[in-house]
Amino acid sequence: MTQPIQPSSMVQVVDLEKFFGALQAVKQASFTVDIAEVVCIIGRSGSGKSTLLRCLNFLEQPHYGSIQIDDVRVIARPDGRVDPAQIHALRLKTGMVFQSFNLFAHRTALENVIEAPIIVKKMATTEATDLGLQLLEKVGLTDKKDQYPSRLSGGQQQRVAIARALAMQPKVMLFDEPTSALDPELIAEVLGVMRQLVDEGMTMIIVTHEMDFARNFADRIIFMDQGHLVEAGSPTQIFDQPQDARTRQFLYALDHQN
Amino acid sequence: MKPNDAETCELGQQVELIRQQQEREFQIGVYVSWAVLFFFLILAFSGLKINLFGFEIKTIALDLGFITRSGPNIAEGIVVTIILSTASIVLACLLALMGALGRLSRFPPAYATSTFYISLVRGTPLLLQIFFLFFALPQIGIRLGPMTAGILALGLNYGAYMAEIFRAGIQSVDIGQQEAAYALGMTRNQMMHRVVFPQALRLIIPPIGNQFIAMQKDSALVSTVGFVHEILWRAEKHGRRDARHLEALLIAATFYWILTIIFSACQSKIEDRFSKGVRE
Ligand SMILES: Nc1ncnc2c1ncn2[C@@H]1O[C@H](COP(=O)(O)OP(=O)(O)OP(=O)(O)O)[C@@H](O)[C@H]1O
Ligand SMILES: [Mg+2]
Repeated sequence: MTQPIQPSSMVQVVDLEKFFGALQAVKQASFTVDIAEVVCIIGRSGSGKSTLLRCLNFLEQPHYGSIQIDDVRVIARPDGRVDPAQIHALRLKTGMVFQSFNLFAHRTALENVIEAPIIVKKMATTEATDLGLQLLEKVGLTDKKDQYPSRLSGGQQQRVAIARALAMQPKVMLFDEPTSALDPELIAEVLGVMRQLVDEGMTMIIVTHEMDFARNFADRIIFMDQGHLVEAGSPTQIFDQPQDARTRQFLYALDHQN
Repeated sequence: MKPNDAETCELGQQVELIRQQQEREFQIGVYVSWAVLFFFLILAFSGLKINLFGFEIKTIALDLGFITRSGPNIAEGIVVTIILSTASIVLACLLALMGALGRLSRFPPAYATSTFYISLVRGTPLLLQIFFLFFALPQIGIRLGPMTAGILALGLNYGAYMAEIFRAGIQSVDIGQQEAAYALGMTRNQMMHRVVFPQALRLIIPPIGNQFIAMQKDSALVSTVGFVHEILWRAEKHGRRDARHLEALLIAATFYWILTIIFSACQSKIEDRFSKGVRE
């Protein structure tokens, strides 16, 4: 355990590298995220956005570089032999929301939310249930608490998934295209919950194709291309005055696809 | 011409009624056909002489005296068969679980032990394995009770086949479920125990049921070594003593069949119980 290098920073990634066989999905990625900062990662399909995000909680094993979140610092190794306790500590600092929700199919909405507090944190069931109900209320799903995921709409499932991640009281929330699997009319309800988290000062890293959300709620945008972090800056900088040709090309293509 | 709403609604109801009627007719047809087949089966063993358009058809006459004399004793084998097959399937499930986890392990000794066991058991006949436990082991001084040896043989054998069922069940649980569990900070054990196994169980219960049904009959193989007094062993003994093999085997067949029918009915109940979260 180490102290944050910068007292104001929550996430610090240095020289991260990730390979899939011969393919390098993340190349020398370095960036920091401040406390309560909202960072959106954009880039075309296959540019390594998900891989980078998933390296942060070791759902993918990075091969080189270091990740520090709050006071937990993990140094990646090419052989992957990282102390599981360190990875566990890192995961407790992060909450993750997936594109495909990944709610536990055999558990109700409430059971999904209280599972990890009970199993991982050994919280008492009554206490966890209180917490769970509170979080379901926050995402507006109190009335669905006893439904199984198969009976919930995509938007409802994703809101339960957000509540489930929040139940572990993470320091950073990681979102991997949280609205990409949703019908257009359901996107707003999920973005609404995320907006609420922004207002509450949650530190968030969001991989997204929702450019409007990124422009309005991100403090910083990171543009990725072929595993590189090409450019980072405020939404105005990235969207209105992109410096790199690749960023300009990406934004141009985006504007002209509709 | 496009029918209006009221008409489509009425038509829809009519179509649904017709569909239900057809379904009912199919069900009734199946029951009636079963009854007919069953009737012919009984008739074949009724001992009646039937005169069909001048042709004399002789059916098989059974020795009812033998059946009433030996039936109850053969019936006592039912309990033995049930105990034998139940204990064996429990052992098989434990071995299958360990075998499956070994197959999925990245720890070489675990992987090797599992594949070695599965290969060895699937590579040799069940009957040989039974003989081995009953006859070969005593030669080197290991004497197991007949029931123990029977359970061990069946459990070991079925465990190897069922390991593949368990592995497929575990692997068919969506990888996203594991990722979600890990992201929440669960250990591998917690993830397996709380997330993967409960969902895999739902998938593997039907094939386990099938294995159990097969096992109830394969348990008869243990009778060949002559120490486990299950259904077939008793039937064989009575049949030989009175030279009434036909009757004896028919009694045994009836008992096995009834056991299977009863268990099949239970099976669908069990499957319903484990379908939580899938159907409402
Ligand atoms: N498990 C894997 N095995 C092999 N290659 C992978 C794996 N996961 C990702 N890749 C490859 O790594 C590269 C980056 O993938 P990644 O999923 O991170 O892209 P992305 O930016 O998230 O794309 P998208 O917008 O489509 O989600 C791609 O070329 C992809 O094919
Ligand atoms: Mg992705």
